Amino acid sequence: MSDQIVDFEVLMQQALQGDQRAYTDLLQATVRLLRPYLAKRLSFTAETDDLMQEILISIHKARHTYNSARPYKPWVYAIARFRLQDYLRVHYADRLHHALALSEVENYFPQDVTPVVFSYESISGEIAKLPPKQAAILKMMHHEGATAKETAQKIGMQVSAVKVAAHRAYKILRAKLERI
Amino acid sequence: MRKLEQLLITLSRDAAIANPAPHPYILSMKWIVTAAIYLAVTLLVFRWRPDLMQKLQDPWFVAEIAALAVIFIATSLSAALLSFPDLHQMRRLALAPALLLALFLPLVFFSWSAANPLAILSTHTYECTLCLALIALLPATWIFFEMRKNASTHSRWAGAMAVLSALSIGALWLRLHEVNDSIGHVIEWHYLPMIGFGIVGAWLGKILLKW
Repeated sequence: MSDQIVDFEVLMQQALQGDQRAYTDLLQATVRLLRPYLAKRLSFTAETDDLMQEILISIHKARHTYNSARPYKPWVYAIARFRLQDYLRVHYADRLHHALALSEVENYFPQDVTPVVFSYESISGEIAKLPPKQAAILKMMHHEGATAKETAQKIGMQVSAVKVAAHRAYKILRAKLERI
Repeated sequence: MRKLEQLLITLSRDAAIANPAPHPYILSMKWIVTAAIYLAVTLLVFRWRPDLMQKLQDPWFVAEIAALAVIFIATSLSAALLSFPDLHQMRRLALAPALLLALFLPLVFFSWSAANPLAILSTHTYECTLCLALIALLPATWIFFEMRKNASTHSRWAGAMAVLSALSIGALWLRLHEVNDSIGHVIEWHYLPMIGFGIVGAWLGKILLKW
């Protein structure tokens, strides 16, 4: 049965009256209708199949909210969109939950990915002129090789505050070194 | 793919006759009539304000009561529509309360401007908010119970509308019961808390209307 000749509204009306054959045809046609919609939005076929199952169960649970006086497709797409959003929300929340913070892996980086023009020693004079806290942070991070997290623990600051202070120090140093 | 086919077979076998959900107009009408009876009964029990007949001569008071009644009807209808996955394909009608609430703000502002400075000031503060919530509790519970029978895909909005609908009944009851002509008090302790309760309703909707 191709999509062109499927009358979803008639099939649904028959299904609501307990016609199992019509209900099977309707669900099969719905799978064909929704598959491209889901495939476009999800990366893997397995994901599409999983979500399709959830959508079919939702259609089954919510079938009493449909009546044939209105078109079937907006009703079914509303359910599909709702389940897709739910699925993506859980999926991304899970990925975020398992994500690593950059500070946790920065010790494993073999070397700097950008060339080092100035070493700590060559600009230590300029660093000494910075406010004491910023100078201490740069010393720990660039001379002693501590991470932002370790620096924060040593000087009793929040990691974010250490990063902000370091960023401000870089800005001051950049402005000074550009003038040289 | 096999799982999907298996599921299709299982669902088809389970295709018993389904009782269709009532049309949103009928559903909301049921809520409106029941809530109107509830309002009348609570006013009879707790008594309406003694100066009600005199207050009904005040056009701003009448406009406020009428606006609350219209908001109640619109939020009930919106909650009913939002309990359907596709909003019964009447999206604009479902969003109508937003427009009405926007029109209610200038009405309250003009009432404030026209307020009599010698008006009786209320001695109540949070008691009014508490009464509002208590009166709205029963209608809200019932509306949520009825909405759970359907399948909302906009659960937060649906929850907020259900709570606002019930609170409109509470607000109507308060205005018809409490001897109070201070519009400042009405805004501070009646209408502003409704916004807060609306946010709570959105949160409740997310939890209670899950399916």
